[in-house]
Amino acid sequence: MYPTRGSGEDKLDSLWRAYRAACPDREPGANFMPNLWRRIESRQNVSFSIQRMVRGFVTAAAAVTIAIGVYVSLPRTTPASGVSYLEALAEANSLDTPEIVGPVRLDWNEPGR
Amino acid sequence: MLVEFELIRRAQQGDSKAFNDIVLAYRKRTMGTINRLIARTEDVEDVAQEVFLRLYFSLDQLRAPEVFEPWLYRLTVNAAYDYLRKQRRRPEFRMSDLSEQQVMMADAAAGGKVEHDEQQQKKLRETVDSLLGAVSEADRVLLLMKEVEGLSLRELEKVYRVKENALKVRLFRARQRVLKAFETEEQKGQNG
Repeated sequence: MYPTRGSGEDKLDSLWRAYRAACPDREPGANFMPNLWRRIESRQNVSFSIQRMVRGFVTAAAAVTIAIGVYVSLPRTTPASGVSYLEALAEANSLDTPEIVGPVRLDWNEPGR
Repeated sequence: MLVEFELIRRAQQGDSKAFNDIVLAYRKRTMGTINRLIARTEDVEDVAQEVFLRLYFSLDQLRAPEVFEPWLYRLTVNAAYDYLRKQRRRPEFRMSDLSEQQVMMADAAAGGKVEHDEQQQKKLRETVDSLLGAVSEADRVLLLMKEVEGLSLRELEKVYRVKENALKVRLFRARQRVLKAFETEEQKGQNG
């Protein structure tokens, strides 16, 4: 055991030394290595499954991105194509269009009112 | 170093045999360190396996074989710290929780009479474990690495990747707390 006389600091140092002596390096059990390799393999399997899943997600995301890219870049034939902005505007808002016709004026002196 | 640098390089390149040889060389020392850090003999092997498991999956991050030992100590310190934190959350199982009959059965299963030396060692472990209750798990591990494992401040600097002065301050405070707990215990012993 450690000495019980002396200053607190000295006694504490002796206690550490006694503790070191009481806990020597240990011999591992016979199953240490087989168990370690089993744990390594099991962790590898888990990480392999996760990697496969992640790879699947990445592939799917890449495929979707390419599909969207192709769809967006496809040339479209719209009725306004080849027509200038002003022409398209004039066509959309021709004078026959009721929205731009001036407000209706009501004649209050109309007979019968 | 307990192994050649070349063996570490081969293990880094995925050579399982080289990794196996490294574990065989270091497992006894690592288990000894863990035994002293956690003071629970029944869980030492489990924590040591966790250390080597982490080593296996992080070996490719090792910059140079020359820093292998501080690296392994770092993994050991982290695994012990993780274990101690988990233990704090788990209610501890003590012999005093058992009924008298259960204790007798446990004694019989363990081979009956426990040797005097073993009892003293157990008591010493319990004393140190109880004194270290005065500091956090992180300080406990740091203090034991310095005082019991005998690592120098320079070595600890490599393990913790913290400046020597910061370690000195932390060690001093932890040691003062443990010393205070030690003196309180002694006073209690003298009075009681």
